[in-house]
Amino acid sequence: MAADWEEIRRLAADFQRAQFADTVQRLSERNCIEIISKLVQDKKLEVVHTLDGKEYITPAQISREIRDELYVHGGRINIVDLQQIINVDWVHVENRASDIAKSDKGVQLVLGQLIDDTYLDRLAEEVNDKLQEAGLISIAELCKNYDLPGDFLTEELSKRLGKLIQGEMDQYNRGVIFTPAFVARHKARIRGLFSSITRPTPVSSMIGAFGFQEHLLYSVLEELVNTGRLKGSVVGGRQDKAVYIPDIYAKTQNTWVDSFLQQNGYLEFDALVRLGIPDPSSYIKKRFKSNKLLFLRAACVGQTLVDQVEASVEEAVNSSTWTDIQPILPSCLSMEDVGMLISQAMRNTNVQSSARVLGGTVVVSEKFISNCLSVFDEAMQQKAQKEVKNNPVFLISEDDMKQASILTESSALSKKEKREAERRKKATEGSGSVKTGGGGNAREIRIRKTKKKGRKDEDSDEDTGPSQQNRSKQTAAVFMTQEEVVAVLEERVSDCPEEILSELAERLVRPLSKAYQEVLRTVFMSSTNSPSGANKKKSMKDLQEEIANLYNNIRLFEKGTKFFSDETQVHIAKHVLKTLCTDVTNILVNFLAADLMMSVENPSTISNEVRVKILGKLSEETKGPLMKLHNCLNGKTIEDFLTNIEGCAEVCGFMLKKGDKKKERQALFLHRQALTEQLKETEDPALVLHLTSVLLFQASTHCMLHAPGRCVPQIIGTLTGRIPTEQQQQLSAYQSLVVKQLVSQSQSRKQEDAEDQDEAEEQDEEAGSVRTQLVALMPQIKDLVLSQKKTAGTED
Amino acid sequence: MADEATRRAVSQIPLLKTHAGPRDRALWPQRLKEEYQALIHFVEQNKAADNDWFRLESNADGTRWTGTCWFIHELLRYEFRLEFDVPVTYPDTAPEVAVPELDGKTAKMYRGGKICLTEHFAPLWARNAPRFGLAHLMALGLGPWLAVEVPDLISKGHVIHKEQQREAAAE
Repeated sequence: MAADWEEIRRLAADFQRAQFADTVQRLSERNCIEIISKLVQDKKLEVVHTLDGKEYITPAQISREIRDELYVHGGRINIVDLQQIINVDWVHVENRASDIAKSDKGVQLVLGQLIDDTYLDRLAEEVNDKLQEAGLISIAELCKNYDLPGDFLTEELSKRLGKLIQGEMDQYNRGVIFTPAFVARHKARIRGLFSSITRPTPVSSMIGAFGFQEHLLYSVLEELVNTGRLKGSVVGGRQDKAVYIPDIYAKTQNTWVDSFLQQNGYLEFDALVRLGIPDPSSYIKKRFKSNKLLFLRAACVGQTLVDQVEASVEEAVNSSTWTDIQPILPSCLSMEDVGMLISQAMRNTNVQSSARVLGGTVVVSEKFISNCLSVFDEAMQQKAQKEVKNNPVFLISEDDMKQASILTESSALSKKEKREAERRKKATEGSGSVKTGGGGNAREIRIRKTKKKGRKDEDSDEDTGPSQQNRSKQTAAVFMTQEEVVAVLEERVSDCPEEILSELAERLVRPLSKAYQEVLRTVFMSSTNSPSGANKKKSMKDLQEEIANLYNNIRLFEKGTKFFSDETQVHIAKHVLKTLCTDVTNILVNFLAADLMMSVENPSTISNEVRVKILGKLSEETKGPLMKLHNCLNGKTIEDFLTNIEGCAEVCGFMLKKGDKKKERQALFLHRQALTEQLKETEDPALVLHLTSVLLFQASTHCMLHAPGRCVPQIIGTLTGRIPTEQQQQLSAYQSLVVKQLVSQSQSRKQEDAEDQDEAEEQDEEAGSVRTQLVALMPQIKDLVLSQKKTAGTED
Repeated sequence: MADEATRRAVSQIPLLKTHAGPRDRALWPQRLKEEYQALIHFVEQNKAADNDWFRLESNADGTRWTGTCWFIHELLRYEFRLEFDVPVTYPDTAPEVAVPELDGKTAKMYRGGKICLTEHFAPLWARNAPRFGLAHLMALGLGPWLAVEVPDLISKGHVIHKEQQREAAAE
């Protein structure tokens, strides 16, 4: 143990000794670095340490190493690679490299790469090989291949052109190198190709089709054109739009244009464009500087053509007719151009004020138009008079009754009214009365016809209801529609095209209707004055007589009805009311209306509505009784009417004398006379029966009868016992035959629909036999009356 | 923690064999002998590499050690006193080295100037007990600690070179 501690003490001493022993004086690595960095800091030493800090290197060594590396790498090395190889800081490498590039002429620093002349020479040789192979090489391609800037390559290669590189550079486009052989080949191709061109051809399409070098092509082409080897010109410079135009083409083009203009007197721009002239109007202006050409929108026209147009316009104006320019103009001119041309011609001849252009191509002189207006004068006068005579009621509205001079047209006869009027007329005819029938009828129809056209559009309005009809519309009186005007013009102005006429008519319609209103007004003013003046007295007298006549007849007819049963009486009374009584009423109303300047020429045309309208305008004292009378017309008995009409006549200032015996007999005689006349003429079995029965009735009862056709059986019934049985039998036989015929007629009409052949034939046979029997019997029946008439006449 | 150089240094320090603390009367001398041999070897090695950086001295029974250590920074030598006791549980527990001069100047230190080595050193020591000795303590504990802390303290101005201090005082 003690020995141990002894040893420890000894060891402690050893430890102390070890600790205090001198440390070996040795320069550690750290010290070395410190010393060197101190020296570098003091600029006593110039070294660069490597990136890993293990080595120091002098700049001279760097330069040497760079050169070595450059040589090893075949004359071209990137500084980045160098830095990695030499393994010193980038800055030192770059500095040394730029120093080398500066000091050594054969070495260059390009894009951070050191390149020496041997490398470039080798590159040039390579390029030359390629060039000889391909004939053409572009710098851009080389740039890509060698990863060098174009400018540098161009410069270096152009230095070596002719020495190492057997070729030349395009002087316009320095990006390409080619061999003379290649150029010659190209030139030959271009010469051949462009010599054969006869039409304008875009150069770009040639490039596409034949694979020319664009830059080379242009320079060669220019050269060939300039030296005169190629006859032609390049238009559009050195761009895509460039077009080669051979002289031969331009020549033919010009000759075509010249001859066309000479022959036709005009040039169409479209045609020039088709020929390949891009800007026709400027081309024409350039080519025909001396000629006076009129430029239109799509064509230009020569002086001769303009002269021609001017001449025809002048002629039309001077002769106050019209002329169509279209035939003398080329058909290709558009309407717009024709218009421009015509207006130019009119300006030149100074006739703008005395002529018009219609339908685009027709020049019409104003005189001609005014002549056309005068054509209508006569027709206008006639129409106005007719209008005024026929329905002045419609010319006067409720509002301006007092101002009679103002003319209006209300919605005139509606369809409904027309129908009514027709029905009434039939009734009068059927009754065989000799009242105002025929003439008035015809006129009415004519009026309707003329009015129909004008009112076509109004019809729909009228149908909506009578309430609207009574309200007058403040529409101007229309003279003629455009179509009518066209029709008239067509008659008068021959060989005018349709559309011109319609345009002319359109132009004329307004002045015509204006003039028409004027005429209408004057005619109306004059016509309203005349009847109320001198004629009045005379007409009063006539009217009184007529009314008295009718009145007496009505009374006699009324007497006749008494022979029948109540039911038949009503039928007959209604018939009488509808025919004769209505006529009387109308005459009265018309007379009163005349005072208000609303009278109608033909009283029988007055319809129910019109009557009500006129009545509405009458003064209070006359209105009352007449209104009653008007209402009686729809009643059932004639007595009411008779009592009313007496009052009315008084109001109107007529005297109604009750006929004495003599007059009565005269009336009876006249009536019979009229009926027999009618009977003699008629061939219709039904009418024969009707008239015969009525005449027989009159003969037997000495009473006049005015009955509808359907009352014939009743009449024959009352005749029983008053006439000889023999006649009676004849009459009834005839009646049955008539009935049969009527029935078969209606049946055959039905069977036609059914198309039952056999029965139809049967029926035909039967109808035929009935007809023959009727024909056979007719004279006998007629004889019944005609012969009796004599006896009756002697009896009287 | 241990860089390549330290590792090499440590590998050259002979490992200890005796597992004995100061209480172990019988084996402690044996252990102490080994400690001394290791230290001698380590110091010689340092000197040979021109890397001498401490002086150590113990009391008679080798339980308390004192000495100096120095660190060269920017060509200036900073010297500090150092002291430590060998704990009774040694070698299972590493001795706590103290540098009283730096007490309160750095966060990596316990009260009384004991340097804070726990983080890396303690596990290393624990793994290698009982083969690690005082030489290892110096090489792996105090050495790296000084290399990290001293430049930091100098840059912060907590530690000033003695000569400069004197100059400053003279001024």
